[in-house]
Amino acid sequence: MTKASFVYVTYIRSTPQKVWDALTDGEITRQYWGHRNLSDWKSGSAWEHKRLSDGGADIVGKVLETAPPKRLVISWADPASATQPEKVSRVEFNIEPYKDDSVKLTVSHTELEPGSGMERGISKGWPAVLSALKSFLETGKATPL
Amino acid sequence: MSKPKFVYVTYIASTPEKVWAALTKADVTEMYWFGYRVKADGKAGDRMTAYSPKGEKAHDDPIIESDPPRRLVYGWQPLFKDMQGERPSRVTFELEPFKDQTKLTVTHDEFDESSKIFGMISQGWPAVLSSLKSYLETGHGLQSTWAEKVARCDAQASNDR
Repeated sequence: MTKASFVYVTYIRSTPQKVWDALTDGEITRQYWGHRNLSDWKSGSAWEHKRLSDGGADIVGKVLETAPPKRLVISWADPASATQPEKVSRVEFNIEPYKDDSVKLTVSHTELEPGSGMERGISKGWPAVLSALKSFLETGKATPL
Repeated sequence: MSKPKFVYVTYIASTPEKVWAALTKADVTEMYWFGYRVKADGKAGDRMTAYSPKGEKAHDDPIIESDPPRRLVYGWQPLFKDMQGERPSRVTFELEPFKDQTKLTVTHDEFDESSKIFGMISQGWPAVLSSLKSYLETGHGLQSTWAEKVARCDAQASNDR
């Protein structure tokens, strides 16, 4: 079966290190994403996307590839279906310095089940989350999700 | 084969009125659209025009729909020499208030299946719309290598004329 994918590019006036930290530091993700992203971010380690309200995980996965502050690849699944390989998708973050003072961030979410709730959810979710991330890094204030 | 279609959504901490002005007034587009002056503040049937930073005309396209500050649709046929020969495509801007911000959806479609322009706009819109968001939220647009690439096409076109 053909898998679906979603790609979003945004340019942020910031540094690669700050963008990396904003994706991997739970104390920063909580301020614009409403969740803590938690892991030691070593290749092979587990990661979790935890709600602020009760600490439960909404998304879980593994760190597949890591090259701070340029590239992070993780698997991505609903905890209830994380053991079903066809329900596990893949997210790549590529962070490149851009011009004098900016960063090009490319998020590629692939291996999604076409027409699934996850595909619909992330296609709406990434533009909102990445808009909030950009505002947070440029102005200190995240746009609301 | 399905026809190419580009969709990009961004959320901007601003009002639909300010986002509308930023999309349609040349004095504002110049501040974030990498020096381009884009005028699209007319009614349906009027023209959308765009001029490069050097004053070359880059667009002279029809405004198809205009419902400020909610919906704007215009044709898109670059006048740069190496991009001619494709039929006009179509750009739709939809602006919705959302939690004290504006949700802006840009849909660019109606391309030929083998369009070369599609590849350029797929790189161009994220740069333009990122810069628009920065400009409205911080007062400063971004720089772009994409704009320099287009400027080189533009220079080539004017050399060839």
